[in-house]
Amino acid sequence: MAGTEGDQFLKQATGRNTRGMLRVIILCLIAGAAVSSRLFSVIRFESIIHEFDPWFNFRATKYLVQNGFYSFWDWFDDRTWHPLGRVTGGTLYPGLMVTSGVIYHLLRFLALPVDIRNICVLLAPGFSGLTALATYLLTSEMVTSPSAGLLAAAFMGITPGYISRSVAGSYDNEAIAIFLLVFTFFLWIKAVKNGSVFWGALTALFYGYMVSAWGGYVFITNLLPLHAFVLICMGRYSPRLYVSYTSWYALGTLASMQIPFVGFLPIRSSEHMSALGVFGLLQVVGFVEFVRTQLPSKQFQTLLRALVLIIFLVSFGGLVILTLSGVIAPWTGRFYSLWDTGYAKIHIPIIASVSEHQPTAWPAFFFDLSMMIWLFPAGVYLCFRSLTDEQVFIVIYSVLASYFAGVMVRLMLTLTPIVCVASAIAFSQILDTYLDAEMPKLEMKENGTSEPAKVAATAILPDGLRSTRSPLIGVYSYASKLTVVGASAVYLMLFVLHCTWVTSNAYSSPSVVLASRLPDGSQHIIDDYREAYYWLRQNTPDNAKIMSWWDYGYQIGGMADRPTLVDNNTWNNTHIATVGKAMSSREEVSYPIMRQHEVDYVLVVFGGLLGYSGDDINKFLWMVRIAEGIWPDEVKERDFFTARGEYRVDDEATLTMKNSLMYKMSYYNYNALFPAGQAQDRVRGARLPAEGPQLSTIEEAFTSENWIIRIYKVKDLDNFGRDHQSAGAFDKGHKKKRASKRKGARVLRVE
Amino acid sequence: MRWLSSFLLLVLLGVAQALSSSGRKLLVVLEEAAEKERFGGFFGDLEARGFHLTFESPKSTSLSLLKHGERAYDHLLLLPAKSKGLGPALTANQLLEFMKKEGNILLTLSGDHATPTAVQSLLLELDIHLPSDRTSLVVDHFNYDGESAKDKHDVLLVPYPKASRPDVKNYFSGEGVIAVPRAVGQTLGNESPLLAPILRAPSTAYSYNPKDEADIVEDPFAVGEQLNLVSTLQAHNSARLTILGSAEMLQDAWFEAMASLNGKAVKTANRDFVAKVSEWAFKETGVLRVGKMVHYLNEGTGKKSNSSAALPQNNPKIYRIKNDVSFQVPISEYSHTHWTPFTPPPSDSVQLEFSMLSPFHRLPLSPLSQTANSTLYGVSFKTPDQHGIFNFRINYRRPFLTNVEVKEQVTVRHFAHDEWPRSWQISGAWVWIAGIWVTVAGWVGFVAIWLYSSPAVGAAKKTQ
Amino acid sequence: MRLLHSFIPSLLLSSAYVVSAASSWSFEDATLTVQSKGAGVGAGAKEKLSPSTPLSKPVALGSTDSLKMLLTTTNGKKARQPHQAFLTLTDPTTGLEESFVLSVKESGRGKVDLTQKDLPIQFLTSSKPIVASIVIGSFGSSTPYKSKVFDLSVTRDPNVPLAIPAKPIRYAVEPEIHHIFRTDPRSPPKIITLVFAAVVFGALPALFGVWATLGANVNHLSKALSNAPVSHALFFGSILAMEGIFFMYYTSWNLFQTLPAAAVVASVAFLSGSRALSEVQERRLAGLR
Repeated sequence: MAGTEGDQFLKQATGRNTRGMLRVIILCLIAGAAVSSRLFSVIRFESIIHEFDPWFNFRATKYLVQNGFYSFWDWFDDRTWHPLGRVTGGTLYPGLMVTSGVIYHLLRFLALPVDIRNICVLLAPGFSGLTALATYLLTSEMVTSPSAGLLAAAFMGITPGYISRSVAGSYDNEAIAIFLLVFTFFLWIKAVKNGSVFWGALTALFYGYMVSAWGGYVFITNLLPLHAFVLICMGRYSPRLYVSYTSWYALGTLASMQIPFVGFLPIRSSEHMSALGVFGLLQVVGFVEFVRTQLPSKQFQTLLRALVLIIFLVSFGGLVILTLSGVIAPWTGRFYSLWDTGYAKIHIPIIASVSEHQPTAWPAFFFDLSMMIWLFPAGVYLCFRSLTDEQVFIVIYSVLASYFAGVMVRLMLTLTPIVCVASAIAFSQILDTYLDAEMPKLEMKENGTSEPAKVAATAILPDGLRSTRSPLIGVYSYASKLTVVGASAVYLMLFVLHCTWVTSNAYSSPSVVLASRLPDGSQHIIDDYREAYYWLRQNTPDNAKIMSWWDYGYQIGGMADRPTLVDNNTWNNTHIATVGKAMSSREEVSYPIMRQHEVDYVLVVFGGLLGYSGDDINKFLWMVRIAEGIWPDEVKERDFFTARGEYRVDDEATLTMKNSLMYKMSYYNYNALFPAGQAQDRVRGARLPAEGPQLSTIEEAFTSENWIIRIYKVKDLDNFGRDHQSAGAFDKGHKKKRASKRKGARVLRVE
Repeated sequence: MRWLSSFLLLVLLGVAQALSSSGRKLLVVLEEAAEKERFGGFFGDLEARGFHLTFESPKSTSLSLLKHGERAYDHLLLLPAKSKGLGPALTANQLLEFMKKEGNILLTLSGDHATPTAVQSLLLELDIHLPSDRTSLVVDHFNYDGESAKDKHDVLLVPYPKASRPDVKNYFSGEGVIAVPRAVGQTLGNESPLLAPILRAPSTAYSYNPKDEADIVEDPFAVGEQLNLVSTLQAHNSARLTILGSAEMLQDAWFEAMASLNGKAVKTANRDFVAKVSEWAFKETGVLRVGKMVHYLNEGTGKKSNSSAALPQNNPKIYRIKNDVSFQVPISEYSHTHWTPFTPPPSDSVQLEFSMLSPFHRLPLSPLSQTANSTLYGVSFKTPDQHGIFNFRINYRRPFLTNVEVKEQVTVRHFAHDEWPRSWQISGAWVWIAGIWVTVAGWVGFVAIWLYSSPAVGAAKKTQ
Repeated sequence: MRLLHSFIPSLLLSSAYVVSAASSWSFEDATLTVQSKGAGVGAGAKEKLSPSTPLSKPVALGSTDSLKMLLTTTNGKKARQPHQAFLTLTDPTTGLEESFVLSVKESGRGKVDLTQKDLPIQFLTSSKPIVASIVIGSFGSSTPYKSKVFDLSVTRDPNVPLAIPAKPIRYAVEPEIHHIFRTDPRSPPKIITLVFAAVVFGALPALFGVWATLGANVNHLSKALSNAPVSHALFFGSILAMEGIFFMYYTSWNLFQTLPAAAVVASVAFLSGSRALSEVQERRLAGLR
């Protein structure tokens, strides 16, 4: 679209200033569209931080703003992972918080005091505008047609695949990381093209920024070496490549090591070894090239062979020894799960339990990328036609990202930029071809110098392609051109419609607040989460320890401001398993665990009344599995299934299930809502036993309006040294029976 | 707070009396007002010690241990009743509820009357066992009073109890013999650490049922020292339940009675012993108080003071691993009328735990100084090399002393980025530092040569 | 221990009565049999007990044995039925006691059977022989009897594990705990460090030496300074200054002091550098390099 206008305008206007001006305006509009389409959630609900991880980022940002950079850097967080605490300053990617902090201080410096929360909420939309710009720059480096860049920018601005992680309020690392990803690639392409240390250093700088912002930096760490490696294999080694790669690698690695969380990983972990290997390879290749200029070719051949063999043996042997001796960290589980999607499920339930680590369902591609999913291969194909160094990059990127996007849902995010670039290339190719209203006779008069690609490709291709050189083959009639252009325009419209619809319906829910429709169509807000968190904030002591499943740790920390046992930063599997064990065991087993961890309140999410399926009973099996991983003798997943292998909560639920703390907490007193024997769980569609569970070691403290959140208080030890069951029985009036005639030896009391 | 306000009240009244540390309102439950006279001496002693006695019959409708959810009396003395039930105000649950509110109970049994069911089930719940038949008596053919129980041998004469363990303070020691007439013996379950015996039967004593076992004892409820004449339970909140096997011990008749033990004439010391038991039961002895805990970073400059107001760095919320920390706490013990410095028995000590999930340090606190009414205990140690949220915890529980469980949470953080030793202090790093300097010098030299070199004579090229 | 102290005087006391009182309780015809399971009747060891002197050797009671004691209680030499006839076992180390009732008929014949199953767990694990005494007493004025009659040593079958319940909690002083710190990381011997540091330092003269032999020099310094004095001085100065900033960052500065300084120096280096380097380029184009 944008290209069309520009093209038409060109006829009358003169000079590149006007075109440049137009391009700036168009880009600004694209950025504006990108930002505004992300504001649905703010308009519908309010300016609120979404989901889970953003709550931690928000809390960390507040800490940074309040306490300054260095105390943030050395932050020891004593309100999470009680009682272990978390060396938060050293275990997070500080880029996001520091960015917000800088913006906050900058605005204050400009006498614009803005609440830090609003900065956090609007950071992701703001950066999405920049991402559109970066996509424009990247695409413009790839092909000569400027319309491709503008199209790519527009696609990137509104594609749901990216919006899913960058709506207002979704204050997560990806909010700035995607911009940095695209911009780093742009700089890299620039560096490779120019062979310039300057651009290489800039690449390293933004790579460092990227490392500070998102764990996904490993994607760049592996993609750039792969690009370089493929270029070398294609025989395209050049001093430009050498200069750009080595300057990026040396500076970028140093920059990445400045982040405490990354530390020495770039030289120790396997994920970073490819970059190091290619760095070494480039030195060898560079040396060989140097030798080649100095030596006659025959000697050179022998030397080369010997050299290759020695280097291969030495480096491979070194790698094996270092890996075995543990200097280089072995591959992490998350990495294995990238190659074998079943791996995590068996070995690391904690990774598999995260929904965004699941393999992608195929409709998700259409949902997130719409028509681009079929334009994408066409764009990649076009890159093959004139396979320049930078187009090789597109090909590699597409192949890798497609694979990873298929393996893990969240990696759809890394695929999106390249899909936008490639489909913009394809689409601009179509438009450039069919929008050229002129007949081929009028061969390039003015176009030739300024915009060669604007000219119809079918007619006037560069001399390189013989097959297309013969003139006057192609579609020239206005009718057919109009049809194609019209169809394309319709596709574009549909794309915009689709994107808006998806954004508004699927990706703009804060998930802290749930929206539902009443029978009359009006919106009904279900605000149980915040109700419960504010209850905690106002009714519990400041350091009351809350035990919940780790999903809610960040929200409790952020909204209720209470210490938690585990949270979404799943750094300590054993601690999570401890909570899992407490949840899945009998009360007598759980109580000592809770006492030992000084738990004051237990929070569970229960969706049975409302039909809210993301509740703890549905997540329960993961708790069991994770606990079983540490205590296989005490917690067994099999015990939670009936003899026929069903996971049930009704009358036929197993005894282990019915006695587990989680089951009891979820269904405690639930019968009271229904007529006798009619209690119904709307999520699992099950009728519950007539007799509800009894609790002895904990007591109900709070249940939210729709019963989504239930909070229990852990009782103190019984005052008289009894166990809670018998104390409860006694209070109810069941007096202990005197032991009848004693048998066997007496028990003597010893002081 | 309660003792303080009572104390103030006392000062205002200008009465110099002994006073319990936990209040003066004492409810005496006895069935017949006429009985009162027989316990006149005991009640007089109690009143002299500052208690306000309220007498109620178990059947009285106005009787209620709790009022508006709080206890209406500070202490309860239950004297034996003839009737089997104690009425709706004194059920086992009510009694437990009273103790949950930190009320103390002195419970008396008697071999003359059947034990009420409420008491039976209360004691059973607390793992204190009474003979299953309700008329059992404790007899001893070796240590009986030859005057009053020449034939029946059911008035035991026993010496003052010794400490049940060498590391336990004995609040019930004295000289003389104690007469225990017609007692109901109790046995204590082996599991509960809350239970403790005060007075145990002599090793030849046993409990029998005069009705069924008149000729020979066949299956005694308990024999010897397993049979307790006076036993106690102290709940987690330090509420005390004292079970006196023989209510008659409290009667004036036995206070200073003439008795004969194996032919020798002796005078019973019941008045003194009963006073000691009731002092303990109503928290006039054996009560501990912990003052303000002070901990601070011990930087070795001898900053020793427990006046936290003067030093704002006292009681910091956060320490670093491997910090030297000092901890101090004053502990007082209530003795009849006032707080005194507390000293544990020689083989015992108050311990400080520095714990996260489990104790990392458990150190004995040593007395540093003494004031008129407290001993200052302290210890210094190094925080562990494990960061986390720790507790300074004193969990001092001993038989006959009120439970002390105090803890204060502190955070132990990791080394900040600028707290590690600098690289030049580590000799192993010198090679790398040398490498840096060589690189710096080489770089500067390279720049100089690259900028200012004239063509070499030998036409040798430099690598750029 | 403490119990023992109270126990011994009462023993003495009671034996005193045996001598002094006219009518006193005692026993006669006492036999003690320990019989193993499976062995025939009368196969076990048989001992005669005397009211005045205890058996010199301890009686062994195995895990399958049963001990049987028969006696006749007497009051003033006549067989009588007492109210209390106990076989009392006392653990000499802890002072714990347990009594077993002798079922005495009206004729005065009494017996008691004892196996390991009847013994409280504390006696089964006792290391010393258990003191067994007989207590006979009744109402009235007759002197009761209590005296040690034998020692009982409990022998257990090591193959049969004993279900010892966990020791109940008693509030007492707990063992001290001192945290064991991880050892500090150690550096290699200083001499080795110094040798390697010297080698590294040695690389610098070697590098300069190699450059010198290849013809490196700074002969054009005056030329460069005369062509573009300000920019050359600034450029080289800024490079040195940058190293100085790094040094300051290493020793004392924090990031917020370093970054502005580095930004200033870097922009100076950039501006002066472009001038200085174009001067170098001029020389190169003039064939002077």
